[in-house]
Amino acid sequence: MVPTMVPIRAPELDVPYSFCSQPRSLHPRPKYREQANAAETEKGPRRYGNIMIDPRVVRGNALSLRLLPESTQPSTPEVKKQKKAQKKLQARKLTQEQIRPGTPEPVEGREHVHVQTELYLEEISDRIIEVDGECQTDEFLDRPPTPLFIPAKTGKDVATQIEEGELFDFDIEVKPILEVLIGKTVEQALLEVMEEEELAQLWSHQRAFAELRNAEFAELQRLEEQDRRIREEKERRRLEHLEKLRKQKETAEKVAARAFAQRYLADLIPSVFNNLHDRGFFYDPIERDIETEFLPWLMSEVEETLQKKVLGRMMLDSLIRMVVEKRLDEFSRPPPSDQTAAPVEEPGATDAAPQVSGEADAADQPVAEE
Amino acid sequence: MAQPRISAYLPPDIDPTKAPLAFGRRALPKLNEELQSPELLTQQRALMALCDLVHDPEKVYQAIALGFLNNLKTLLVHHDQTVRQKTTEVLSIVALHSIGRKGLIQSGVISALTGLLDDPVDICRKNTHRIFDMMAKLPEGAGGILQAGLISPLILKLKTELDEIQELILDTLSNCLRVEVSEALAAGAVTVLKEKLSHPSTAIRSKAAWVLLEISSHAEGKIAVCKEGVIPVLVSLLEDIQPEVQVNATGALMFAAVTPQGRSSAMGAEAIPPLLKLVAEETSKARLNAIKTLTLLAELPEGRQTLLDHRDTFQRCLDDPSEAVQRAAQIAITVIEWKP
Repeated sequence: MVPTMVPIRAPELDVPYSFCSQPRSLHPRPKYREQANAAETEKGPRRYGNIMIDPRVVRGNALSLRLLPESTQPSTPEVKKQKKAQKKLQARKLTQEQIRPGTPEPVEGREHVHVQTELYLEEISDRIIEVDGECQTDEFLDRPPTPLFIPAKTGKDVATQIEEGELFDFDIEVKPILEVLIGKTVEQALLEVMEEEELAQLWSHQRAFAELRNAEFAELQRLEEQDRRIREEKERRRLEHLEKLRKQKETAEKVAARAFAQRYLADLIPSVFNNLHDRGFFYDPIERDIETEFLPWLMSEVEETLQKKVLGRMMLDSLIRMVVEKRLDEFSRPPPSDQTAAPVEEPGATDAAPQVSGEADAADQPVAEE
Repeated sequence: MAQPRISAYLPPDIDPTKAPLAFGRRALPKLNEELQSPELLTQQRALMALCDLVHDPEKVYQAIALGFLNNLKTLLVHHDQTVRQKTTEVLSIVALHSIGRKGLIQSGVISALTGLLDDPVDICRKNTHRIFDMMAKLPEGAGGILQAGLISPLILKLKTELDEIQELILDTLSNCLRVEVSEALAAGAVTVLKEKLSHPSTAIRSKAAWVLLEISSHAEGKIAVCKEGVIPVLVSLLEDIQPEVQVNATGALMFAAVTPQGRSSAMGAEAIPPLLKLVAEETSKARLNAIKTLTLLAELPEGRQTLLDHRDTFQRCLDDPSEAVQRAAQIAITVIEWKP
């Protein structure tokens, strides 16, 4: 930002010095704005602020361009516009002053040259010859340490010296301290060593116990195994023995059964044969033949013959009957001389065969039964 | 010389990495609050101070009463590795005290530590395994570890971890498997341990043999051991230079030889000569185990025949100072001379 330039004005000699604003002593700056408004309204006893402690007063290097802010109040837009218009006016004035020519234009073929007419030539340049000069303080050194304050010596010098062995005997005095120190250390170390030893002992004890236990366990298992084997063996033998007994019994029964059966069936064959023989299974074929065929035929023939005989006799009987009946009929009429003829006839008839009478009876009976 | 001027230097025994402790009873509550602060540096400094305090059993008691373990549990999953490392260190020192172990079981820190098994930082894992190791020495702790299902991850870790951590894992496993063995067998523990038996490091070999001992003290463990053919390896370990390895290998053989299959495979692997050598040595720690194993092997007829010639070795054992050895020698002689 270009710093605003202070406007250069020609001094007006005859006008007395005038201020933009009349100098006045300022009120002390109020802390708060509300207080400021209140301070303006109250017209009480005017207290003047101390410019030494007023923050609005510029302090410090007067040669450095440090400008006050334009006003303590924040600039309103109207105020800003006014300021800008003022600045424009000033700038226009400046340029216009520059444009106005001082001398007329040069004639053709000639040239105007600026010439200095003073006694001594002066180099004119826009730029002011400036020479830079620097001044620099040395680097700040640290504050050096305060020198020891050795107050001036006052009083008398007195010296004293403790010879060796006067205050205490180191060797004797240090003994209890050393004892305690070393004692504690050694005690601690001993404790640790004892603990380790105890642990080692416990481990070895445990190990020994474990070994014994294992040995005993193995013994136990061995005995168990032995016992198991023996038991198994016993069981096996017992079973074998039972088996043997059973087999023996079975064999004896078988033998007995066999003997009995043998005996029972010893006369099986003869009896069977006898039975069969009795039933007629073993037959002589010729005999069978004779029996089955011949004899029935014979019997039937005999029967036939007998039947013929019977028939003959029956016929005879019927003849006789007829005759007798006829004779009876015939002789019933006549006198009893016929009765002697009839019994004579009958013995004659009985002479033929005793069977005839029997047969006549037989014939009479069937006739009577009919 | 003492001067009235206040020095610009801090006193010589202040550790800038540790939080300053409040006086007396207030120390632990203040540390508790500092642990929960959102600023990382405060938490780290509080943890460093806590590490030093928990060596004292009284402080451990007070800490557990104040509920430190819950805060430490939340810090276990912190993203900063220093915090995790210091937290695990604090917990491992707490686990060294019996009150601490009880408190750890009650607050369920074991399951919270499961996530740290895969931590990228070595020290965190090592401290975690130290905690497991100490916890497994208690029966409740071993039960807690079994319940948290840590056996299979531990066995998997055996294959991939560093040697020191492997030793800790083997210790933990040996204490846990004394209780129950089925989970470990399901995870294929016997195969892994068989490889470890041929590890170059002595400690790992002896501890692996110890774990096998614990496994084969259970019935299903014995079957698994016989099936995997571990017995020949154990027999070869009997001739190992280190006495530790010898003791544990003999113990494992002792348990494995209880079953008939174990016995026959031990006979097949010609276990008797090295065992006799171990018995003959007067100062061997494996004497007891060796005598017991020979007793078991003497139950087989072939074993009995072989051992009848070596009866004098057992007679000499009767003079051993340890009472258990004397008894075992007595039993061994009885078994050898038994006639069916």
